[in-house]
Amino acid sequence: MRKITILNILCVLTLLVGCTKNFEELNTNPYQISGESLRQNNQHVGAFFPQMLNNIFGDQVDHNLANEAFVRHLGTPTPFTSNINNTTYFIRWNGNWGRVYNNVFAPARSVIEVAEAEGSVEFASWAKLLRILAASELNARHGPIIYSEYGSTNKTINYDSEADLFNTWFSELDDIVAGLSANKGFTGLAAFDASYGGNISSWIKFANSLRLRLAMRVSKVNPALAKTQGEKAIADPGGLIMTNSENFMILNYDGFFRPARICFGWGDTRMSATMESVLGGYKDPRVAKYFEPATDPAVYASHPDFPYKGIHAASVLVAKDDRLSYSTISNTFNNNGYPRRRCFTSSETHFLLAEAALRNWAGAGTAQEHYETGVREGFAEWGAGGVDEYLQNDTNLPLDYTDPKAQNNDNAFVSRIKVTVKWDEAADKEVKLERIMTQKWIAAVHNTVEIWVDHRRTGYPKLPYNFKNDSDATWGIVARDDFLRRMPFVNGERNNNPEGVADATAKLGGPDEIGTRLWWDTGGPNF
Amino acid sequence: MKKIYFTFLSVAFSILVMQAQRSISGKVSDADGNPLIGVNVSEEGTNSGTITDLDGKFAMNVSENASLVFSYLGYQTQTIVVGDQSNLIVTLAEGIALAEVVITALGIKREASTLTYAQQTVDGDELTLARDVNFLNSLSGKAAGVEIQKSSGGAGGSTRVVLRGDKSLSGNSEPLFVIDGIPMANNKGSQAGMWGGVDGGDGMSQLNPDDIESISILKGSNAAALYGSQGANGVVLITTKQGKSGKATVSVSSGVTFENRLIKPELQYKYGSENGTKESWSKTPGNYDDTFVDDFFQTGRNLLNTVSISGGTDRTQAYFSYGNVSARGIVDQHTYNRNNLTFKQSTKLFNDRLTIGSSVILTAEKTNNRPRAGYYDNPLTGLYMFPRDRNFEDFKNNYSVVNPNTNLAGQNWFVIDHHQSNPYWLLNNEPQLHENKRMIGSVTLDYKLSEKLSLSARGNYDYADKVSERQQAAGGNTTTVHRNGSWSYSKFNDELTYTDAILSYNDNFGNFSLGVIAGTSYQKTVFGKGISVPGNAQFGLLYANEFFFQNIGTNVPVNSDLASRLVKQAVFSNATLGYKDMFYVDVSGRNDWASSLAGTGNESYFYPSFGATAILSKLINLPDIITFAKVRFSNSRVGNEVPFNVVDPENTIAASGGVNRNLQKPFRDLRPEIITSNEIGTNWRFLDDKLGIDFTYYNTVSTDQFIRLPAPSGSGFSTYFVNAGKIVNEGFEIVLDMTPIYTPNFLWKTSFNFWSNRNEIVETHPDLGPISTGASEGYLSRFEEGGSIGDIYVFKFQRDEQDRIMLDEATSRPLKTADAEFAGNLNPVWSLGWNNSLQFGKFGVNFIVNGKFGGLVFSQTESMLDEAGASLRTADARDAGGESVNAVKGGTPVSSVDAETWYRQVGGRNGIGENYLYDRTNVRLTQANLSYQTAFGNVPVTFSVVGQNLFFLYVKAPFDPELAMNTTRDSNSLDNFNLPTTRTIGFNVNVKF
Repeated sequence: MRKITILNILCVLTLLVGCTKNFEELNTNPYQISGESLRQNNQHVGAFFPQMLNNIFGDQVDHNLANEAFVRHLGTPTPFTSNINNTTYFIRWNGNWGRVYNNVFAPARSVIEVAEAEGSVEFASWAKLLRILAASELNARHGPIIYSEYGSTNKTINYDSEADLFNTWFSELDDIVAGLSANKGFTGLAAFDASYGGNISSWIKFANSLRLRLAMRVSKVNPALAKTQGEKAIADPGGLIMTNSENFMILNYDGFFRPARICFGWGDTRMSATMESVLGGYKDPRVAKYFEPATDPAVYASHPDFPYKGIHAASVLVAKDDRLSYSTISNTFNNNGYPRRRCFTSSETHFLLAEAALRNWAGAGTAQEHYETGVREGFAEWGAGGVDEYLQNDTNLPLDYTDPKAQNNDNAFVSRIKVTVKWDEAADKEVKLERIMTQKWIAAVHNTVEIWVDHRRTGYPKLPYNFKNDSDATWGIVARDDFLRRMPFVNGERNNNPEGVADATAKLGGPDEIGTRLWWDTGGPNF
Repeated sequence: MKKIYFTFLSVAFSILVMQAQRSISGKVSDADGNPLIGVNVSEEGTNSGTITDLDGKFAMNVSENASLVFSYLGYQTQTIVVGDQSNLIVTLAEGIALAEVVITALGIKREASTLTYAQQTVDGDELTLARDVNFLNSLSGKAAGVEIQKSSGGAGGSTRVVLRGDKSLSGNSEPLFVIDGIPMANNKGSQAGMWGGVDGGDGMSQLNPDDIESISILKGSNAAALYGSQGANGVVLITTKQGKSGKATVSVSSGVTFENRLIKPELQYKYGSENGTKESWSKTPGNYDDTFVDDFFQTGRNLLNTVSISGGTDRTQAYFSYGNVSARGIVDQHTYNRNNLTFKQSTKLFNDRLTIGSSVILTAEKTNNRPRAGYYDNPLTGLYMFPRDRNFEDFKNNYSVVNPNTNLAGQNWFVIDHHQSNPYWLLNNEPQLHENKRMIGSVTLDYKLSEKLSLSARGNYDYADKVSERQQAAGGNTTTVHRNGSWSYSKFNDELTYTDAILSYNDNFGNFSLGVIAGTSYQKTVFGKGISVPGNAQFGLLYANEFFFQNIGTNVPVNSDLASRLVKQAVFSNATLGYKDMFYVDVSGRNDWASSLAGTGNESYFYPSFGATAILSKLINLPDIITFAKVRFSNSRVGNEVPFNVVDPENTIAASGGVNRNLQKPFRDLRPEIITSNEIGTNWRFLDDKLGIDFTYYNTVSTDQFIRLPAPSGSGFSTYFVNAGKIVNEGFEIVLDMTPIYTPNFLWKTSFNFWSNRNEIVETHPDLGPISTGASEGYLSRFEEGGSIGDIYVFKFQRDEQDRIMLDEATSRPLKTADAEFAGNLNPVWSLGWNNSLQFGKFGVNFIVNGKFGGLVFSQTESMLDEAGASLRTADARDAGGESVNAVKGGTPVSSVDAETWYRQVGGRNGIGENYLYDRTNVRLTQANLSYQTAFGNVPVTFSVVGQNLFFLYVKAPFDPELAMNTTRDSNSLDNFNLPTTRTIGFNVNVKF
């Protein structure tokens, strides 16, 4: 009996030591998707695209309390963090960086690596194209970013200078357009492409349009490069996004339109005072497509025929409830009634071409033609009527603004925009540019990163300054008659990659502050 | 069923019949023939007993075949079988009960005097005195070094237990809980955060306190080395009651307790709002309703009943119990119901060589609407901040209004605000359920191979089925509820399988004694395996207010969940060598194989421990006043495995379609964490055992910590792990016990548990600065070299060199520092538990005073109430014409600032946290109990009045600092609209027959 028992124990012991074989399997989560399973149906490259596309646009702190406020499209009624925050030029949120690296760069890297190893030009090109799009939006915020050293195992990861970034992007775009153009018949993207249904020709149009956008970004700092690249974009046989049917739209993968949740779900955003001023002044019919009338008539008593009221994007606010009765965005955006997000639309192409014409880029056509087509495409996109009459108006000007809920005439401003809608071929280039930029600004609703770039690059449209400016030495000082020029490098990088940030700051050419101009924001004359 | 009742009744009846009683008398004296006064004489296995008089004489009634136990301080306890005798002459020998046997790791019994580490035993009776629904709360102050914090979730809520400080940077520092030698799962459910949420309870709260015989607390990893990594944070060993041979006894315990708020926020009802704002910042006093907040709360009521039957023969014993708790919280709709069924038996076979034991514990627990904490969906935010000039009664009576166009009901509230909703809408239209069913079954085989050698094998299966569900009706707060309503549902299982086999050998060689055990164990845990559906503003229902799977929105993910799956295998051995009962040396070693380290090459890891003790009182001649003295030392190393699935995680499928790439860098050179402990202690007993002191100093070093870090943006990952860091916990524990009064009519025993722990983060990671462990509303916590776990950082006032608060020149608002600055630590500096037991004849009094000294607590509630103009201090400031301050504005001293200007800046979500930090120091009467023992016929009955958390002798904070928003590491001692702490008073009856 005794011997048997001891033997048994020894057996158990032996078993134990030999029993660690299934440990790897035990330590695997069965509800994650394995690399092997992903190999089916091109999923190992394709399945990551929804994640990438879904993170081209961010959410409240990424856009609404950043560029949407900086370009005065939307204003918040909420005095976040004691009414001292991004909108008043004291940085509280700087999170878009992490979203892009984690959700666009990281999957793009795997996709490109695998697709290139397997010779899948289409998937690799598509991932690179989205990576440039996301990276160029990061550049719009921070300036130098991590690009060529992304994925490095070094302790210090260096940023690319802006000049290098644009050169890299233009050369990558060459490869992308060539790669896609040689494989127009490929249909494998369809399962993962809710934007264009896998149509390669459409992606080529977007690639060319993106090149045009990026070329215009550098038009002041490196006019020669801008002209070369812009003309290349215009001349490419693949074409540009010229009509609304060719627009690049991103599906609302979350099942809702993010600004609608901020507006209706959280009550944290409303029409901006500048939108009220511009749309009201120009009597722009698109206002009814963009916004809802204010619910309290008292707030628009100064212009009862125009029942809309906005919030100045950098206001003195006391209580959130004060301005909840101001104009929300249109109800059609709520409940996923607008199931997509505008990423590149034909109106933007035409306004780019109009500016290209002013800059004498070959093949651009005339500025007037593209200016008017840009406005028309914008109206058509939203189904707004009255565009002919609108384009002929040479008297209406944006309104001055007062805030009926504020004390002591706080938040009020006098509109600085002195251009009307009607094109004036006799006007000088500056006026023409201001007109183009003002209309580009109106048309860019819910897609405002590039008009934020344009505003810094050209100074147009002539937006009102911050009423409340809390900038201080913490993040850098912005003069009361100036605008925030960039977002600082993120704290995570300052902590985890301090030498990389130091190097990036050197490449930035100024302190890592919100008042430092980016490379393409020269501050010099527009022409 | 009827048959069972009948059997039960007939058993009970036969027990009563068996109890023929007769009288017995006698005399007790010492070895010299002197009468001993006040000797405790009790009948074994019953409650009946008496005390000898001034002549050493006693008389009492006993049952047939009774055994009497004679116990007296400073003398050896003696048991005498009465037999036919009617007059007993008893002589007690001097000497103290050094042979006290305690339960140690793996359920091994050892003599307390041979231990090389600190251990404290808490008697089961002490845990049930106060009738707390969760017995862990009753451990507070009972043992040195044990920190207990209740969650604010009320009955069935979880409890945080930490022995000797936080040891791990990666999260949990809670001890291992063991029932009858076998580890059990103490998984916590969800936890509330600053933004809201609810306590999901824990595993321990499911046990019936009446089933507990005793609890042995092994505080250091030294004591727990045999449990390996799980014991690294100490072990709480629970021994459950078992059947006793002899006549069957039925015990009934029945109690009812009532709960009311003990500390409430001080609110004002004098000033209302202006211009319809949601804040009450008017400067014109009004005559407003000041009862609506108090009326919201009700008296909580807990009914606790247990019946148990125990009995058996010499060979077979059995224990059975049924317990029920039925509780109603202090907020309407909060109910808690628990049913416990326990059956345990043990049988000896093969000439008593084999003992087979088995036990089954069944628990069914159901909680409705456990109170939430944090901002979202918490009724207290809307309640406390309601503008005073509005009519609350109207919102209370008409919390729901139907929209005639849609025929859909929605909440009726005066404002759309993510922070607040109609409290009555939340209570009635957002029901929340937690339902747990649990079975713990175990079998134990002990085989005596010889007098010296025995083998035991055990198996245990612990299975819990947990359902958590919340039905948020359409028309609720748009921040958290979808327009058609939201359904959060999860159903999952926790499973723990444990087996071990242990060979033990005990022998004596001349002056030497040797005890050796060697064993092996296998444990598999599968936690959180099940299914879940999220519900919030984004994920809602297709059709309004129908809460089931067919009706979830097309964008709502249905998740297969697995929180953790881990197999651990071990071989271990321990040897204790004794010399002449004077010296003992302990050596043990354990090797673990852990599946979570698969693929690292470090799956197998070994760790040793060593300890020694010398009993000075046997070694050298000490003055008579000293009855016992010993010193002890031990050293141990324990390895801790890492969590499930961090070595090489795969990609996940996203709710929105597509695949989310894994963002955690694979970690293939992962190592186990190592905790090294040193402990020295000494134990002295004086004056015939009437006074004793136990002192322990320990130093615990945790290294190779498993730390999650944010990866550099350019690395291609968002997080990575490292083995790094060093945390030192160092402290001492003093246990002082005294029997100041010991007479036949008056007995007073008292003990002090006193302890202090100092935690230091000696290093984090060589490449890194501070590691943020949570930035939340109003405060930050982070790990920093030279800091401590629990350090809190808040925004402070900007002050000039004269320490005056600087005001903004334009607005007079106080200026706040640009960054959150270090403010202190949440943990107390030292703690005290003072236990008392007094006996006056048939009356008994027990009370415990607990004190925490030092440390900070933080109240976001007060900050929010100030911003809203709802706190009493904002009214006082308005009455006084402004807040009195020592401030400066542009060089000019300022002594008063407008109340609204001040509090809107100081208070709020991200106000000046410095203003809302409070000293954690508090002293309270934790527990008091008055009992009276009597008998109805032959049936002993004890009546008691019980009270818990009765009052504070000292407290600075405006809330109970020991009541946690949640029971995780970084958020204890924070208050964000926590349910207020309660005082409990009740009655209990115990009957044994």
